[in-house]
Amino acid sequence: MTIAFEPWMYVAVLPEILLVVLTLVVLGLDLALPEERRGGLGWLTAGGLTAIILVGFAVAMPAGEPRLMWGGMLRHDWLGFAFKLTALFAAAATSLLSMDLAQVGKRGEYYLLLLASTLGMMLMGSAADLVMLYLAIETTSIPLYVLAGFLTRDDKSTEAGFKYLLFGAMTSAVMLYGFSLLYGFTGSTNLYELASLAQAGQLSLASVFGSLLLVLVGFAFKISAVPLQFWAPDVYEGAPTPVAGFLSTASKAAGFAVLVRVLMAVFPGIQPYWGAVISALAVATMTLGNFFALSQKNIKRLLAYSSIAHAGYALIGVAAISMPGSTLGATSVVFYLITYVVTNLAAFGAVAAVGRVTGSDEIASYAGLSRRSPWLALVLLVALLSLSGMPPFGGFVVKFAVFAAAVEVNLIWLAVIGVLNSIIGLYYYLTVLKVVYLYRSEEEDKPMPVPGGYALGLLVLCVGILLIGTLFAPWFSFSSGAAAALF
Amino acid sequence: MGDPITAISLWLDGLLAGWGLAPALIIVIKALLGVGALATAVLLVDIFLVWVERKVVARFQDRLGPNRLGPFGLIQPFADVIKLLIKEDITPVGADRIVYNLAPIMALATVLLLWAVIPLAPTVVGTDVNVGVLYIVGVGALGTLGIIMAGWASNNKYALIGAFRTVAQMVSYEVPMVIALLVPVLLARSMGINSIVNAQDSYWFILVAPIAFLLTLITSIAELGRAPFDLVEAESEIVAGFHIEYTGMKFGLFYAGELLHALTLSGIVASLFLGGWRGPGAESFPLLGIVYFFAKAFFLYWVIMWVKYSLPRIRIDQMLNLNWKFLTPLSLVVLVVTALLDKALVGVQPWVYVLVLLAANLVIAWVTLQILRSRARKERQRVAEPRPIARPPAAPVSSQGA
Amino acid sequence: MTALQIIFLITAVITLGAAAMVVITRNLVHAALWLIMTFFGISVLYVLLNAGFLAVAQVVIYIGAISILMIFAIMLTRRVQQDFGPQTNAAWPWALVIAAALFGGLIWIFSGWGNFFTQAPVMGERADPLRQLGMALVSPEQYVIPFEVASVMLTAALIGAIMVAWERK
Repeated sequence: MTIAFEPWMYVAVLPEILLVVLTLVVLGLDLALPEERRGGLGWLTAGGLTAIILVGFAVAMPAGEPRLMWGGMLRHDWLGFAFKLTALFAAAATSLLSMDLAQVGKRGEYYLLLLASTLGMMLMGSAADLVMLYLAIETTSIPLYVLAGFLTRDDKSTEAGFKYLLFGAMTSAVMLYGFSLLYGFTGSTNLYELASLAQAGQLSLASVFGSLLLVLVGFAFKISAVPLQFWAPDVYEGAPTPVAGFLSTASKAAGFAVLVRVLMAVFPGIQPYWGAVISALAVATMTLGNFFALSQKNIKRLLAYSSIAHAGYALIGVAAISMPGSTLGATSVVFYLITYVVTNLAAFGAVAAVGRVTGSDEIASYAGLSRRSPWLALVLLVALLSLSGMPPFGGFVVKFAVFAAAVEVNLIWLAVIGVLNSIIGLYYYLTVLKVVYLYRSEEEDKPMPVPGGYALGLLVLCVGILLIGTLFAPWFSFSSGAAAALF
Repeated sequence: MGDPITAISLWLDGLLAGWGLAPALIIVIKALLGVGALATAVLLVDIFLVWVERKVVARFQDRLGPNRLGPFGLIQPFADVIKLLIKEDITPVGADRIVYNLAPIMALATVLLLWAVIPLAPTVVGTDVNVGVLYIVGVGALGTLGIIMAGWASNNKYALIGAFRTVAQMVSYEVPMVIALLVPVLLARSMGINSIVNAQDSYWFILVAPIAFLLTLITSIAELGRAPFDLVEAESEIVAGFHIEYTGMKFGLFYAGELLHALTLSGIVASLFLGGWRGPGAESFPLLGIVYFFAKAFFLYWVIMWVKYSLPRIRIDQMLNLNWKFLTPLSLVVLVVTALLDKALVGVQPWVYVLVLLAANLVIAWVTLQILRSRARKERQRVAEPRPIARPPAAPVSSQGA
Repeated sequence: MTALQIIFLITAVITLGAAAMVVITRNLVHAALWLIMTFFGISVLYVLLNAGFLAVAQVVIYIGAISILMIFAIMLTRRVQQDFGPQTNAAWPWALVIAAALFGGLIWIFSGWGNFFTQAPVMGERADPLRQLGMALVSPEQYVIPFEVASVMLTAALIGAIMVAWERK
């Protein structure tokens, strides 16, 4: 299969090219500027990413049939486009939220690694070839390993970076083994070629299913699904808070993008097996995440377990995709992830804003927050209620969509488990809010300053949550467009 | 008559086929014979090198060198070998026996491996690997391994420090070396050494890539660990470095390996930049090619010795600075400029091509020298500045009086 | 059996044996040297597959750079080179079960594949895999995007490594 090169392919990857340019600019400025003037790098990164998002909307929007490009390495379609923009958005928000963090915000390397990782995520969303896919995953992960351990003087951060690196390298090796088996069995690395070979019955069930189970190990690590979830709490706790937010949102969304693409491209032949595996993963992931979250005393660990639980909810949608006759599945997953990214970034942003003043991530230190900084308390309220799936916020709508997708393909038991889990989730989110709003503390008279970067970032995110929750329709059609082009 | 090697090969073909051997087996036997002959010849040259080394260093130091045994002292190296053979063979207490004994073999064997890809004459080519240049780098890495093994297994702290220095030096100098080696690869459009020699039929690559030639020569000296880069075995600091514990023939293997390595790298540089076996009449009389090849190789060998006995040893920080702040950027610039010009000059006359590339190289050299000069001026100013001198603290004023 | 097959079997035995020695031996430097042996065996396998470039790259990168740096790091920790503790811990039965299950799973995966005895296609006399590889890496119809992305990734990794290693004052 050869795909002739045409000039429109440059336009289709223009956001990626611009991102590389932005990375180089940041690198150059970091070298050129004196140390005290590097504070502007955060604004530059966020502004540049926003500009890239606008350029993406203007020129790189897929139109018509999805097409393979660059020799079949990438696919120009709605799924890739949606996740590209999500990654860019998450990176922009993260750089706004990390600008005023001590030891992080004024370091050029931080933004450089963030941007390199974002490039990997963008390519993960649209990769259509195993070679490209693997490189994209590594481009995402390697900067994230460093970012998680960015505070080299802090033992917890170092531990986080190292743990993430070890588990990441291990699972990526298993995944690569799966890739090599797929290539060995078929002689092709293109996902869509693999799909057609599998559908033509040229591959035995054992070989495809077995190799994809190995591949699944790598994907499950990225989305922190059980049984590869154990790294998440330690890494989130140790990593700088904005990085933890980035890890739990953009990295996870990119993992889901890959999962959905591989599933839908390669798996149609063996849907029943796949559906069973994913359903089991979904149940285990959300239940475990929620139960462990109940007993957490540290807000970052709590959010880590909550993000595991959310991976479980999203997996319900993935399980629905793998059932025959699903129309809502893909849409609901894409939609769920976009909302989750916005919401969780807001939660981690609020945690970072509080943490930089109090210097603690214990839930107990949030006592009296509503008096110290009503706006931050409000952001936390919006984010946590959205995460728990309360009606006026985005979280409700997308949870509803995911459960509806499950019901549509007769996975009613899965939807029921999902609903029960949401109730458990509500309990621990409300516990945090109880501390924030009802508990008093001795320091409640001290106001909590919120720098401009945080204010802007959190404002955008909260507006996003509310918009998704109230003006459901435009977002829904956006992500249904993303999903429709998959088939 | 001009090509005895091919004649011998054909004669062997006939002889072995006459014995009724299978064609595949004949190829294997001939390959083994060829390897044996080449390795023996090279090792004989190696013994001769001991004499060359002693004689030349004597001349540099205004002495006569060995002159008692045989004409011009030519039998002296054989006496040296016999002396090494009858010396006591010591394995230090606490040494790692297997690794300790393996290391000298590795050191010499890796040098011999290099000869496999060097074309000695148009018809005398060990094997024409299409990744020859990379092969040289890879085998060089194995040589480093031999030195590390020696340093570690000796159970001696000086040996270990020598091994550390070796790693720091060889791994760093591999970077500019590989980049500089890419220049002839780019000019010949092949990584095979044979093809690179063949591509120099109208002009030698030293004409179009003089800076790359110098870079390769300098990094080769560093890879060899010879002065001024011989802090691997700096006798005033770490006695003899990695081979401090070795005696007798095991030391002899290291010594022979070092000498032969120098000649081998000279041969490689001669093949890549000086046209290898090329010279008047070499195509029709391959034996003449061997003569040309060794003449060029020995010329470079002499240059290496010249450098060795003229320059003082540099410090380890100077060694690393020279590599990372000077050689590596310079090699990158040369590679990029050569690649761009080569692409721009497609289809011009050869003499235009040579002139433009030569001019470009001279410009690069001039700019480099200007930069170095201004840096040197600053450095001299810094050194010349009056430094704070430590003074004894003022004597406490005695309140008691005298 | 052809000569190539004999060479392959010998190489495979040496490679696997060396790989086993990497984990069995108690001396860390010896483990690293066995690892080098393993890499060398793999490089021979590449040669058997007519992939000369990969074979030499394997030697340059894995032996020349990675292993030597490993030995360097080990040598810096001279007193902990020898491990005198037990080589297994209490969970070894589990490890055995998992390893056996994985092995069984791999056998199961391979059971469905029928091309074990397919002969490799013969390369033409003038075929130049090195040139093809070079062209493929920069061709927009093949691997130019992964090639460029790899450069971004390596730059980021390099900067990350320097950042981690840099001693800040």
